[in-house]
Amino acid sequence: MQNVTQVAASQGNIFASLGIDWKALILQIIAFLLLVFVLGKWVYPWLMKSVDERQAGIEAAAKATAEAQKSAEANKEAVAQLLAQARKEANEIIGTAKLESAEMVSTSEKKAQKIAERIAKDAHEQLDKDVVNARKVLYNDTLELVGLATEKIIAQKLDKKTDGELIDAVVKAAK
Amino acid sequence: MISGFAAFDLHVSIGAQTLFTIFGFDVTNALLTGLVGVIITVAVLVYVALSVKRGKYNRFIGLVQWVFEGLLHQINDIIPDKKLAKKMTPLAITIFFVVMFNYWLSLLPGLDSIKVNGVPILRSAAADLNFTLALAIITVVTVQMYAIKYLGVFGNAKRYIRNPFKNPVGAFEGALEIIGEFSRGVALALRLFGNAFAGEILLIVILLLTSYVASVVLPVFMLFELFIGFIQAYVFFVLTLIFTSLAVTHEDEHDKQTA
Repeated sequence: MQNVTQVAASQGNIFASLGIDWKALILQIIAFLLLVFVLGKWVYPWLMKSVDERQAGIEAAAKATAEAQKSAEANKEAVAQLLAQARKEANEIIGTAKLESAEMVSTSEKKAQKIAERIAKDAHEQLDKDVVNARKVLYNDTLELVGLATEKIIAQKLDKKTDGELIDAVVKAAK
Repeated sequence: MISGFAAFDLHVSIGAQTLFTIFGFDVTNALLTGLVGVIITVAVLVYVALSVKRGKYNRFIGLVQWVFEGLLHQINDIIPDKKLAKKMTPLAITIFFVVMFNYWLSLLPGLDSIKVNGVPILRSAAADLNFTLALAIITVVTVQMYAIKYLGVFGNAKRYIRNPFKNPVGAFEGALEIIGEFSRGVALALRLFGNAFAGEILLIVILLLTSYVASVVLPVFMLFELFIGFIQAYVFFVLTLIFTSLAVTHEDEHDKQTA
């Protein structure tokens, strides 16, 4: 491999030793400028348009996201307010329900007490009636037993006439 | 070792080699590969543009679109003037894609092995100073054109020529600016050429050194070269934008400094 300076010295031209050919250089400049012109005129506009559209889409999406976030925050506040309102209403409803239930319990207790008292009263009355009836039955049974015992003692059948005579006799004896 | 190299006939030429001549014009291997690179660039961009126009999408189109969008963002970030940024877009993006595809062509199998009349057919255009110098000249001239358009002929001239009796420091600064303009152009050309040329030599040397193991080792270096190709294209692209941005904002900065 030859040194560049050696080649330059032998050829007397540093550009030639580096392989620089002015014709090729000018041709490449023209070709490249032509390429830039062609690409800039017919190819890049489409790519730039797509980038702009994509950018616009991203910006629109970002805007929509920001709006959605804003609306979500607003909704969050509205939901919080609704929840607070609902809690307040629920508390009020629970309070009212407690009061109403207490009243209902109190009323029911009173009603139940009245019914119980009435039932007890009816039971007492029924008991008194039963006692009176039992007494009557007992009295009649006693009378019958007395009659039967008397029949056994006097050894004769008692009827109203005999009964009357006996009673009279006893009354006279008592006198 | 050296005799082994000689056996493989390692041939390194700084300049591109002539394959054939048409009407007195030398068609070099780099020119031919560069033409293929340009055709690939145009085919890819036209395919993507047509697909986008028709609303057809796939991963490749998405990738190219993603790169394109990234480059557009970069242009808008570096050049504050939106109008100028839009004007610079075709040149800057074409530089990026052409440089990248041409650099990647140096990875094609057959580099320095497929020969016609002893001249390798494949040589990346990025490894030819004619191509890199052409891009650098276009960039420097474009920057100057926009500087004149934005600052005016005299405004732009003031960047370089100042009265040494009134402002000796400024005059020296102007002289440095002139040197800077040339050095920027030369640096642009030589950076890309140096990287591409060294990349090609690296691949050939690795191929010779590793012999039969090359099929295992070379892919690693090829991947590295793919990455370097992308980086070099990006560097050229960004420097074009930075030089433009510096040229058109020079007056404002100078005014601020003097104020």
